[in-house]
Amino acid sequence: MANPEVIAELKKIPWFGTLSPEHLEKLAEITTLRAVRAGETLFKEGDKQDYVYIVLEGRVALEIFVPHRGKVRIYTCEQHDVFGWSSVTPLVRQRTAGATAVLNGRLACMDAEKLRQICDEDRDLGYLVMRRLANVVASRLMVTRLQLIDMFAHPEEKNA
Amino acid sequence: MLDITISRGTTVALPKTEFDLLLADLRENGYQTVGPRVQDESIVYTDIQTLADLPRGVQTEQDAGRFRLVQGASNNYFDFIPGADSWKKFLFPPRVELFTVRKGKGWEYAEAEAATPRYALIGVRGCELAAIEIQDKIFIRPDFYDPTYRLRREGLFIIAVNCLHPAGTCFCASMGTGPKAQGSYDLCLTELDDVFLVEIGSELGRSLLAKRKYDLPSAFVQNIANQRLSRAAQEMGRVLDTSDLPGLLTEPENLEAAHWDEVAKRCLSCGNCTQVCPTCFCWDATDSVNLNATRASRTRVWDSCFNPAYSHVFGGNTRPTIRARYRQWLTHKFGAWKEQFGTLGCTGCGRCITWCPAKIDHVAEIAALRKEVNP
Amino acid sequence: MTSLLPQSAPPTAGHPGKLIQPDWAEIVRITPETEGISTFWLRFIDPQVRERYRFQPGQFNMLYLPGYGEAAISMSSDPEDEERLVGHTVRFVGTVTKNIGRLKVGDVIGVRGPFGTSWPMKQIEGRDLVLACGGIGLPPLRPAIYHIIRNREKYGKVTLLYGARTPKDLMYPEEHEEWKSHDISMEISVDRGDENWDGRVGVVPMWFYNFRIDPRNTAVLTCGPEIMIRFVIYEGLARRIPAERIFVSLERNMKCGQGSCGHCQIGPYFICKDGPVFPFSVLQRYVNVEEY
Repeated sequence: MANPEVIAELKKIPWFGTLSPEHLEKLAEITTLRAVRAGETLFKEGDKQDYVYIVLEGRVALEIFVPHRGKVRIYTCEQHDVFGWSSVTPLVRQRTAGATAVLNGRLACMDAEKLRQICDEDRDLGYLVMRRLANVVASRLMVTRLQLIDMFAHPEEKNA
Repeated sequence: MLDITISRGTTVALPKTEFDLLLADLRENGYQTVGPRVQDESIVYTDIQTLADLPRGVQTEQDAGRFRLVQGASNNYFDFIPGADSWKKFLFPPRVELFTVRKGKGWEYAEAEAATPRYALIGVRGCELAAIEIQDKIFIRPDFYDPTYRLRREGLFIIAVNCLHPAGTCFCASMGTGPKAQGSYDLCLTELDDVFLVEIGSELGRSLLAKRKYDLPSAFVQNIANQRLSRAAQEMGRVLDTSDLPGLLTEPENLEAAHWDEVAKRCLSCGNCTQVCPTCFCWDATDSVNLNATRASRTRVWDSCFNPAYSHVFGGNTRPTIRARYRQWLTHKFGAWKEQFGTLGCTGCGRCITWCPAKIDHVAEIAALRKEVNP
Repeated sequence: MTSLLPQSAPPTAGHPGKLIQPDWAEIVRITPETEGISTFWLRFIDPQVRERYRFQPGQFNMLYLPGYGEAAISMSSDPEDEERLVGHTVRFVGTVTKNIGRLKVGDVIGVRGPFGTSWPMKQIEGRDLVLACGGIGLPPLRPAIYHIIRNREKYGKVTLLYGARTPKDLMYPEEHEEWKSHDISMEISVDRGDENWDGRVGVVPMWFYNFRIDPRNTAVLTCGPEIMIRFVIYEGLARRIPAERIFVSLERNMKCGQGSCGHCQIGPYFICKDGPVFPFSVLQRYVNVEEY
């Protein structure tokens, strides 16, 4: 039996609003809520810890450590953003970026191994989850492309 | 000689031997008389003093990328078809100073030096008259006018000429601008063997002729002139189907046609077509300064959409390829122009075809594009 | 010599000199904004010009530096400025603007304008507004922000989305708190953050993923790199904001400011005269034609 508080939190997320009570229940069962403080590290590049997160409140930065440049903040997750999504994909080895809370906030944390399991068992739910994750990946890809273009660079720098 | 009252619309017969009096009257009235002369193996519009300065007996052969003067059988003065030169240079000079500033306390304007010249244009064809009227729409608008153009335009005296021997690259009949001169002129000539028929097109033209006495042409002579004119309309070297313009060239899907790539392989992006075009109006401004930076001038020069710098914005060029530039020119001239100025930008004079070193025939290109998109 | 012929009309009286000859203005203040970008505050020297000159948010001037030429620069100041100063935020990138960058307070510069269309501040009254800009796209929107603040009750929810490359590239930081105090919610995002940046890292169009808007009552004003504008438009359209209510400001090579030199054309439009601000509905046909 899922925690009613978790169900209540998940229902606030627009995408979860479209799930059947049965599916919502299944997801809530593998989800825990967690408060984070600004500056708190959630995971580091290379970690093998296996959770996928949804920001309920606050802001979480994804960072990559670049030699000679230090930690580069490449993306921030805002309310209802998903991060750690690669842990749901079939070939999970390790974290490819670090995650740090920028503001105090709260997260919904889903056990990724169990998520993969319930998606395998209930293909209908699995389809919905994967479709959602495809959206997340697509939006992340769009942002990455726009950053790659470096549209604000000084034109002379771009031509150099 | 009959004592007749002439008015707008009257046609009189002017013996060729008296044409120089007309030129003299114009100069007497403060006009600089400019017209066609043979120069540099072509026809150039420049100062003329007498009829003898005109290309007597000269005819022209024109085709894509080809222009030749040949001596014809007649002794007529307007049997040629114009060369690369157009009247545009008198109204919209290729290079004109916009202003000069002097450094004082801050900057101040130096007095303009030259007075605006007053030109009498001798021998303006229907297509050329239409070109002037197109440029009027660009440079004299309700919201804006260009002072250089407007002053010159307002001082203009136009002697048009009906075109009797269209060349191989002509398609004015398709564009509805010729071969008979239409629109506003002061006088209009039709050349016969010994006389010019002179039609009076304006009060200005009437007052110039009022000084002397002229005969009315006989019905026989008038008839010959009419016959020659209607024959000329049948002798167009090229025909452009305008029925689907401007749409053919403004539909976004047609802007991605494969034919643009095909033309781009041949086009050199040299800009000849825009420089000989009597309606192309794009310009650029250049700045110069004296050595101690106390005096600076701003000069306007003709530009061309084929010039890579034309569409440069800092950081790059919005039309970096020849394909994009050729497409811009053609779709503007025969497309977007209509929405901007209420008319297409082409008068069918054929200069862009004649003077293209790659022999690109825009009439044929439009037909090819049409064939591709409406197979 | 007496002329038989009627004289041609004299040069038309009252010809607005701005069309060809710039008016002179003194630089009274220079505000450095970020590296390579400063705001030049100009005062017309001729008191009559100073009195007559008015501009609308989104319009631009041609700034003239004798010997170097002209550059089209949007006004970035308050159209109702009490001192009658006209602010231009200039990025030093071309010959003209680089040399404008060398000018000092007290120097004189030529100004022609104002030119072009403006943000439709009247037409969008009563709407929720999303102002989406990036980089040097903020300055042309700043006069609109001042207008909104002055007439705050006439607009619904106002959100300013502003993107920059890094936190140190953000312009007018000292004014952000003031803007927020007038109930303008500001969402700043940078392409690359560092550990001290606690704002958003991402791109402007992403905002549409995180926030709810009412498409029936929202207008979008956008200015910045063309790529950013395009994606803002895609996101706006995807959320069913009609194209007629998405307004974009475009940049092209401009020489004359009055639809005469030909350089700034896109399709049938002269950006200097028919733009720079367009409702997207009129540009829609051309947006995906490459190199047009």
